[in-house]
Amino acid sequence: MRDDWFVCLFIFEGFQKIPELFKGFHISKKITFALVLSTTLSLSAILGKAYAALLDGVMSGVEESLASHVAKKGEQLLTGNFYTAEKPNAHGPIGQMGDHTHEKGEFMWSYRYMNMFMKETRQGTNTVSDAVGRGLVGSSISPLSMEMEMHMFGAMYGVNDTLTVMVMVPYLRNGMRMTHSNGTAFTTRSEGLGDIKFGSLWRLWAVEAQSIGAHRFHFNFSVSLPTGDTSPTDRTPLMGGNDNMRLPYPMHLGSGTWDFYPGLTYGGEKGRASWGFQAIGSIRPGKNNNRFQKGNALDLNVHGAYEIVPKWVSSSLRFAYKYWGNYSGADSAITKNVQAAYPEKLGGVRVDVLAGVNFLLPEFAGIETRLAIEGGVPIYQWLRGQLETDSVVTLGWQGVY
Amino acid sequence: MLKETVAVASCSLTFFGLSFFVFGYDVIPVVNGATIVGKAAFIGVPPAPRVFNVNKGPEVCGKVRSLEKIQVKNGLLKGVVIVLEGVKNGKAFETKAFKAKLPGEGEFQYESGEVLNLDVSQKKCNFGPVTGVVAKGQPIEFENRDPIKHILRTYVLRGKDANILRTINTKNLSAHSKMTQTLSSKKLQNARVVALTCDRHDFMENWMYLVDSPYFAISDEGGQFSLDQVPPGQYELVAWHPELGTQKQTVNVTVDSNLEVSFEFNQ
Repeated sequence: MRDDWFVCLFIFEGFQKIPELFKGFHISKKITFALVLSTTLSLSAILGKAYAALLDGVMSGVEESLASHVAKKGEQLLTGNFYTAEKPNAHGPIGQMGDHTHEKGEFMWSYRYMNMFMKETRQGTNTVSDAVGRGLVGSSISPLSMEMEMHMFGAMYGVNDTLTVMVMVPYLRNGMRMTHSNGTAFTTRSEGLGDIKFGSLWRLWAVEAQSIGAHRFHFNFSVSLPTGDTSPTDRTPLMGGNDNMRLPYPMHLGSGTWDFYPGLTYGGEKGRASWGFQAIGSIRPGKNNNRFQKGNALDLNVHGAYEIVPKWVSSSLRFAYKYWGNYSGADSAITKNVQAAYPEKLGGVRVDVLAGVNFLLPEFAGIETRLAIEGGVPIYQWLRGQLETDSVVTLGWQGVY
Repeated sequence: MLKETVAVASCSLTFFGLSFFVFGYDVIPVVNGATIVGKAAFIGVPPAPRVFNVNKGPEVCGKVRSLEKIQVKNGLLKGVVIVLEGVKNGKAFETKAFKAKLPGEGEFQYESGEVLNLDVSQKKCNFGPVTGVVAKGQPIEFENRDPIKHILRTYVLRGKDANILRTINTKNLSAHSKMTQTLSSKKLQNARVVALTCDRHDFMENWMYLVDSPYFAISDEGGQFSLDQVPPGQYELVAWHPELGTQKQTVNVTVDSNLEVSFEFNQ
């Protein structure tokens, strides 16, 4: 099985080739930044014009058609409303980011704790023994398990009727248990600030009426800064146990590059039910200072939720598809003695099924408080001799004012 | 020569551009103006008010609130907006105030002058009466006198059958805060009606007819209305109610005349 099994994935792989086109050109960082900024602004302006044209052109025809449809039931069509009040499932499952927008002047603070646990080696779709795993790359060490924890602090703010901005600050703690072919087992750890992400959510189109429910679309665009460490070290029993070895790629706290995350989010609701779809890409242009580039990624999410106790509790079920490409280039300081140290073996595909519960607490001092939990397991994984995921859990708090 | 051409072209373009932003009504002294008086009636039994249980800030809004969009007393209809369309010049705007029906204490206050300035004094979860008027390009001052926040949403009625409510503005109106909102001409293109709602309180719902002259009135509890100092001419008199629709009459206004009109609505 190849990793390019969907056409869209070819496009993502294509982004990795962009820097190669400019090999030989020596452009200063200031000029690069100016180019990126001007391109972003130009694209924003073009998108803004296209959006206005879409709204007044094609979509007004759709709106007229929908309005005629709902008028037969004595209803009016409401457009441009992104607000969903007093519903625990007005926000998506807590494990999904950028699922909702905010009204002008509205703030939201959030905290999430995420835990992902991985155990056993997978080659393709099959679990293999440690020895087979080592044999895939000819290494002397194989990973036994890994736990990734993330504390994510976030804030969102509604700038105007169209734009919501957000910032996410992650703090990560990774631990990988490994075993040497001679039977020695040991654990390495990395901990620290991850890549800080600045995001924007652009409201595109929303329609609703009682008989057809509500349907809302927004565009996501985020940028992450290379604030996470890509050179974490820890002691290992190798070389007498005294050296601080540079840890393999999955133990890194960031990508080392300025990354872009474009995406589209759709959310719907009718009565006590809600549902949504989100597609987010991770584009990492160029190599970092350690001369490697983390693979591009694509996340697709589909979820459904139901208000079990009106205005209090909702439950959700989500399917999360994730594709992530191989790394390109290599950090020469990373010793190739474990599968996780091989950049060409780090890509994969995973589909998780996750169940969640959202709680909406009574408003206090004008602050709307939400608590949520979501957990799940993979139902499909395709890897290249790497640790397979066993469980994913997210806990979160959100306060809206 | 080139410089002069550029200068003239620039001035013309500037003037042309600015003309779009100027309120299209001129105040002039009205001599021998006419008066139009009338009444709005409702035939049939009005629907019962919609009742809402209040979840957000019941200590301020009350635990139960109602929304009565069709207010009828002895067969006469309150809240019908009467507008004389097509008046390009005439009297100045007058100071007027319209209070909300209790238990809310909101009020629409219109200031006198050459343009229509509207102050919305929002209290006890009520922006003001169910119906009112606004003008394109003119600022609306909102004052939230409640200790809780409201989320102000502004819609326009669009579509060939006027059954599309398009959101043109949303704003977090914090506790005890003031804000100014100007309804831009671009967003109000082809619109005649603006709706104000609060996302947090479903019973807060107000409907505003877009006017461009001071020749408007809103029928009172007895269904009565009057327009004075009307310059002579032929006009279209529009009677509009958010639930009951629009009716039009052509009126011929002569010098010093007293014209009587009536409108009958039913569901």
